[in-house]
Amino acid sequence: MVPMATLATPPWLGLDGIPPCWVVLWLLPWALVDGPISGALAGAALGLVLDGLTSDGLTLVPALLGLGWWWGRIGRRASPVQRSFNLGLLALLGTAMLGLTLLLQLLIAGGGVLEPSLWAWGLHTLACQTLVTGVLAPMLVSLQMLFWRRRVPI
Amino acid sequence: MAPSLRPGKQRWQGLGRLAPWLLLLTGLLLVRFSKGAGFVDAYALLTRPFWPGPAQREWVEAAVDLEQRARLTLLEQDNQRLRGLLELQQRGETGRDVAAAVISRRPRDWWQQLELSRGALDGIAKDDAVLGPGGLLGRVASVTPATARVKLLTAPGHSIGVWLPRSRHHGLLVGTGTTRPELRFIVRDPDVRPGDLVSTSPASTLLPPNLPVAVVQSVDDQAVPLSKAVVQLIAAPEAIDWVQVRTR
Repeated sequence: MVPMATLATPPWLGLDGIPPCWVVLWLLPWALVDGPISGALAGAALGLVLDGLTSDGLTLVPALLGLGWWWGRIGRRASPVQRSFNLGLLALLGTAMLGLTLLLQLLIAGGGVLEPSLWAWGLHTLACQTLVTGVLAPMLVSLQMLFWRRRVPI
Repeated sequence: MAPSLRPGKQRWQGLGRLAPWLLLLTGLLLVRFSKGAGFVDAYALLTRPFWPGPAQREWVEAAVDLEQRARLTLLEQDNQRLRGLLELQQRGETGRDVAAAVISRRPRDWWQQLELSRGALDGIAKDDAVLGPGGLLGRVASVTPATARVKLLTAPGHSIGVWLPRSRHHGLLVGTGTTRPELRFIVRDPDVRPGDLVSTSPASTLLPPNLPVAVVQSVDDQAVPLSKAVVQLIAAPEAIDWVQVRTR
């Protein structure tokens, strides 16, 4: 589902042409419902698939693994997270972290120096993707949580 | 009418009788010196229904089109012969163009790439040039049997060698993530102006030679260590549904 959505995102669904981060929108409800181990595994698996869909050396695996683990712990420990504002905030933070790991990798690949134009582009992409994912999250994530909860009653 | 007492009036009357003739003469002189303006216009207006119809215009246009195509073929043959004399590689001319549909488009994401509907089975290989209407779009980054992934020229860090035909200088086109890549020069005074065409090098071995790529938009002479320019790509990846892959 996630790779297909990533490939098929129409250009109008996004901010300034930058699409939402579908993997966050899928992983968040999964990890919240299914726990840290399953979340981390799902994150790593999706990261591997998505890395295969891109041609650069950048990888999503560590960020998604960490996010899956973190969201799984939140889902298990705290009282069930289901208010739209909380879901939106979690998706926002997750996307920002994902983007930051990518920027960090670019920085490391550039030997610790990133050109000003690349900085501008990276921060722009990060901000747009974070915003659009945060906006879509309350609706999509709560629907998916309902779906998963019905299949796996707590 | 009673005769007037004023002596001058007689003369004016004589002039008054001459006046129409004078007017006619003036008119004729005007026609003469304007190269027959009014007459030709009137003629054009009157004969408008009998002008050669659209069919004839199409014939003329078709003839012009044919002439230009013939000239292009001749020039290409000539060019090939000359390149042969210079022993430059012939790939650009001998390569086959494979038309492919764009099945997925991520021109503004972290990864700036397109997925094409043709792959290794159609003869597409890694590093083939991908052309859109207007010019070079990018290069094939990887292929599967049925699809090919194109890394766009706008992708951050993607760099290709380019050529400025007007000033005959080489440059390096580096993607910056935006729709306007950066052109870095190798020489100190590159003699470049906004509006200059940027193409692939005529002696290029990695890319087909002499492909239009971009147009220079602004030049930064003050950049260190060497001057830079911002260019606008001719082919826009956001709006292209079909591309040509030039196989080798």
